[in-house]
Amino acid sequence: MFLAPDGHEIEIADAAASFLAEVMPIARLHGAAPQSSAALRLTVGEMGWFALALSEEKSGSGLSPVEFALFFREVGRQCGPVDVLAQCLAVLLDMDDTARADLLSGSTGVVLAVGQGLRLLGSPDAVYALDVSPTGSRLLHLGETEADERPSLDPATPMRSITSLPTTAVATASGEHVWRMGQLGVAAMLIGLGEAALDQIVAYAKIRETFGRKIGSYQAVRHPCADMALRIEAARSQLWYAATALKEGRGDAGVHLDAAKHLANQAAVANADTNIQLHGGIGVTEEHTAHLYLKHALLLAKLFGAKRPLLANLLHAQAEV
Amino acid sequence: MDLQYSEADREFRERARAWLVDAVPKQPRPAHGAEAASFDRAWQRKMYEHGWAGVAWPKQYGGLGLTGLQQVIWYEELARARAPHYINTTYIALMHAGPTLIARGTDAQKAFHLPKILSGEALWCQGFSEPNAGSDLASLKTRGDVGNDDIVVNGAKMWTTDAKYADYQELLIRTDPASERHKGLTWLIGDMKAPGIDIKPIRTMLMDEHVNTVFYDNVHIPLVNVVGEIDKGWSTALSTLSFERGLGFIGDQLELYERVGRAIDLAGKTRLEDGRFAIEDDGIAQRLASLKADSLAIRAMTLAHITESDRTGDPGPKGSLMKLLVTGTHKALSETVGEILGWSFLEFNGDRTEHPWTYDYLWSWVFSISGGTSEIQREITADRLLELPRAR
Repeated sequence: MFLAPDGHEIEIADAAASFLAEVMPIARLHGAAPQSSAALRLTVGEMGWFALALSEEKSGSGLSPVEFALFFREVGRQCGPVDVLAQCLAVLLDMDDTARADLLSGSTGVVLAVGQGLRLLGSPDAVYALDVSPTGSRLLHLGETEADERPSLDPATPMRSITSLPTTAVATASGEHVWRMGQLGVAAMLIGLGEAALDQIVAYAKIRETFGRKIGSYQAVRHPCADMALRIEAARSQLWYAATALKEGRGDAGVHLDAAKHLANQAAVANADTNIQLHGGIGVTEEHTAHLYLKHALLLAKLFGAKRPLLANLLHAQAEV
Repeated sequence: MDLQYSEADREFRERARAWLVDAVPKQPRPAHGAEAASFDRAWQRKMYEHGWAGVAWPKQYGGLGLTGLQQVIWYEELARARAPHYINTTYIALMHAGPTLIARGTDAQKAFHLPKILSGEALWCQGFSEPNAGSDLASLKTRGDVGNDDIVVNGAKMWTTDAKYADYQELLIRTDPASERHKGLTWLIGDMKAPGIDIKPIRTMLMDEHVNTVFYDNVHIPLVNVVGEIDKGWSTALSTLSFERGLGFIGDQLELYERVGRAIDLAGKTRLEDGRFAIEDDGIAQRLASLKADSLAIRAMTLAHITESDRTGDPGPKGSLMKLLVTGTHKALSETVGEILGWSFLEFNGDRTEHPWTYDYLWSWVFSISGGTSEIQREITADRLLELPRAR
């Protein structure tokens, strides 16, 4: 038994970290004009990342949920777009090879449909919407669907609403697998984000001085930082456990994922909050990235299980401990 | 990453389970006093005679030489078998004194004390804290005058758990009167039967007397009882504390999931004042479910930490994070159960068996203060894990 990234898992995480820091650095989100999502999608597709969790028989990378989680943790560190997850999940549905090849390359885009499917998260140029539930998933062709652009609190995530769901499902999958992978991906993004928020305030606390001392020497700063470390350590440990349980096909993997998602929701939002507070005034400025973590965390915390449904599931769930 | 137990781990679990089925005492442990101490000795003796004593100790000193993961398995099996709780009057001897002697003791000290500890013959208590030296341990003042054959001790120690039943004490004193802070301290093996020792119980808010003040009036301790070097006791004390912050609370960590399950059962059959079952209250149900998630995370964190330190041989600073999370969750669980039980939560006469949830609630402060307060654990985290500028 070993519950930390190991061997080739570390190599994949490192490769993902440097690739993503280059193609989708968090700095891209500062007031700039919306980036070309299509170009980004093609770059990610070209590097093969959308094939991460797809089996080798289907021309995928055949990697496990553990590597999947490690990749999305790095996506989360950069407040990466939700579309990347939608694209990775969509290729898991049953479809013909040509359609899948287009998704894998990033030449066609997928957005995530949420809120009974009537709200679309992600790039406006997407062709498909992915509608995932714990019992099954559908890939819907957006075609002529009229989408109404909505303002988005989270600069990383364009939001649109539609009044009725497209009727054409171009691909489907039954069962909970896609939902569980979605939970894993979002929980991992939240963990990466919560870690980035902690790293940011710790780095600042080492250099910023007030009343003649580094702020990191004040207990009023040190103790909230220790609490951030604690929250993220607990949530990350549970994420590793859940990812590994899913990889090994354990019967209680779903319980561990629900717990991981709940803990990741809490840890990321709380760490983003504390990061802003401990920065002081600079923390509420647009030019700083602190607010980007908070806004993205608020959005991710609602995907693939928000607080109420997760806790309702967990109350009577049985884990094999 | 993987969750697979090795063949050796599985085999160990089966052996432990098979032995515990019949070995676990049928009588419950008495809650207090000398009866509790003799019950603990007898249970330790039984484990010793059947080769199950000293799970964390190296084989060459009579222990089982288990890996961290196998220790987890052992505590899981103890809980499954409803064995006596491992935090009892043998705790300091097995978890503090023994490991300290193994790391820092002389051959003679090891030969004399280790078998007595393993077999339950000798119980130990901890003589570190003082009225003005708790979290700031290095400010302790109990004095030792070093002579040719012995050290004469005068002063007082505080919060000494089960001092009345202990045979020996891990005693940290100031032997260099001119010294300050962590210099000039000495770690001694104290004989609790030595003349000049006076034990006064401290009644706690739990309505019991498990802790004591121990007074020393010209107590003579032979020089052969020094562990480590005279005036260099701080480094010995640090090894003692590191055992506690490593796997010291492992059983509590693993048991929390069970305890949350018991609270959920309780909420399902306890009615609130408005007539509904407590579990039907959204606030209570949400908190219990959230505590279940925390308890799963604590177990995952324990396994992650232990498998990592099995591999690297270094427990690192994460023990502080675990203690913080365990004590915080423990308290939050008690508070939620307090809401479920309503007025009956306030019926308490000090009897742990009769009123376990109220006792646990009061205990939650003992847990978050003893063995390094939560504030000190945050300081350790800030210093050693986050490497923030030092406050002190």
